[in-house]
Amino acid sequence: MASAVPPPVRSEVLLLFRSLLRTAREFADYNIREYTKRRTIDAFRQNRDLSDPSAVVAAFADGKSQLEVARRQVIVHSLYAPKVKNVMEIKH
Amino acid sequence: MTSVTGSSMSMTSLSGSFKQTQAKPETVNKVCEIVRKQLALPAETAVTGESKFATLGADSLDTVEIVMGLEEAFDISVKEDSAQTIATVQDAADLIEDLVMEKDA
Repeated sequence: MASAVPPPVRSEVLLLFRSLLRTAREFADYNIREYTKRRTIDAFRQNRDLSDPSAVVAAFADGKSQLEVARRQVIVHSLYAPKVKNVMEIKH
Repeated sequence: MTSVTGSSMSMTSLSGSFKQTQAKPETVNKVCEIVRKQLALPAETAVTGESKFATLGADSLDTVEIVMGLEEAFDISVKEDSAQTIATVQDAADLIEDLVMEKDA
């Protein structure tokens, strides 16, 4: 049996939330940026009322790995940034 | 006393007591607008400087989203520990003003 990992504290969860949103902002592509923001918010809201500590730990670990993915992808995508702005970004 | 040449200037007297807060009303209003949009508050709900996010129905996730929205609206960057201390609209507006002043300095 794996030793019990203590569930994350509220401030850690909020820090993860903020980091994900901040990383989302760095994407140059409008679609990916909006998706990352939306998915983060939806996932955190969905898991808001988890009571089982192991589920909380699992969700937090999942969030952390997604943050790493997002950070890597920001760098990769910046190498292939779109040259034209998405129509949704053009202010009329 | 300096002598004023040319047209005379009249100073309007600043009557009434000044609140000790630093934030300009436009800043507070902009913050209120962003909060209202984020929490999808109906028009009847009053949002003022003293409104606490918690009483308006915001949970901690909402507060983080609001702070993110404020960062984007005012083009500032709120540090982690400052963000934790924001409880009312006025707190947010004061913090924004400080950061904007630092940025323009």
